[in-house]
Amino acid sequence: MGTMDKIQYRPIPVRDLLVEMKDMSELMIDLAYSSALFNSRELAEEVLELEKCVDSLAYLLDMSAMIAVRNPSDAESLVGVSVVASAINKISDAAGDISAIVLRGIGIHPLVRKVFEKVEERLTRVEVKPDSILVGRRRGDLKLASRIGTNIIAIRRGRDWIINPKEDEMLQKGDILIARGAPLGIEELRQVAEGILKSWRNRRGARRKAV
Amino acid sequence: MEQDEKQFETVIDKMAELKDTSELMIDLAYSSLLLNSRELAEEVHALENRMDDLHTEFELLVLTRCITPEQSRDFLGLIRLALVAENIADAAAQIADVVLRGLKPHPVLRLAIREAEETVMRVPISKSSVLVGKSLQEAQVHEETGMWVLAVRRGDTWLKPKPDVVVAEGDILIAAGYAGGQEDLKQLASGKPA
Repeated sequence: MGTMDKIQYRPIPVRDLLVEMKDMSELMIDLAYSSALFNSRELAEEVLELEKCVDSLAYLLDMSAMIAVRNPSDAESLVGVSVVASAINKISDAAGDISAIVLRGIGIHPLVRKVFEKVEERLTRVEVKPDSILVGRRRGDLKLASRIGTNIIAIRRGRDWIINPKEDEMLQKGDILIARGAPLGIEELRQVAEGILKSWRNRRGARRKAV
Repeated sequence: MEQDEKQFETVIDKMAELKDTSELMIDLAYSSLLLNSRELAEEVHALENRMDDLHTEFELLVLTRCITPEQSRDFLGLIRLALVAENIADAAAQIADVVLRGLKPHPVLRLAIREAEETVMRVPISKSSVLVGKSLQEAQVHEETGMWVLAVRRGDTWLKPKPDVVVAEGDILIAAGYAGGQEDLKQLASGKPA
């Protein structure tokens, strides 16, 4: 059992909290299934990190909702928000349960992969090392989709998460990128992020279909 | 041994169905909130019943197999995954409940479910629809309307939108896409000219 963060009220709009919880829960489900399919402890651990964030956000959301209620009609209208937030929290717990399968070494039969892999896409986690050419570049300028058929769907910066990062989000050293794409593109992104490759290989999308 | 592998695949197929259904439920549940649609919320509940059946079938399949000690961990992983899908389905039902309880969705909910321009709809297929008797592959629903078929409901059963599913009178299509395609899909399904 890890340590739990102390919860302190902070004035954050309910809407922002809810959006963040929803985005995180969706990312978590994707990450969790990927961690199970590829038996990846790394991905599973990111899921647990996200789960902690969602738990904290749920507290903050409840507090904000409590403060906002002044009369019965406010209560009637906000109770739905609180019910949805708790459902989102359940989804995030469910993702956490999937990652526990991996972290406890229970394992999933290799045949499962055949059925679940609808597309040739994978999720991965790569760290941006200080000497990577990605440092200081904006996400949108990298044109990862057309170049290597991958997409950065989230960034973890220390304990902060940026889900669905914007085009102008600047990558920093130490960032953990969660990316989705074809296996070859993912591998190239990993090498570039780790500073092994100092430039992109010149084959814009040419081998996207290769296995 | 080969026989064994075949059997195992039926277990995994069931598992995949549980996972797909739970994810469809989440999509539909958020859409029911967005549109404040009792219809969609009721579909979520219908799917939850379906999930319960599927889960039971899955568990029975697992239990009736002779599992060797070496296989037990792999199967435990599957059992846990199915449980997770079930929990996700419950969460989806909880979201749909907000609509069924007649609570007016708070504006915040609508703002949070951002893809506001993308909608989900359900359309019944009438007798005179041009889609009747066509496979989904022939029907070209996406090309014609821009809407994606997420699922086909036939009586109490749900079909995944595989290309070889033949559309029948009385089917209900659940489709997602941009609002502009809704009218087009309704026309295709009703068989009435524009």
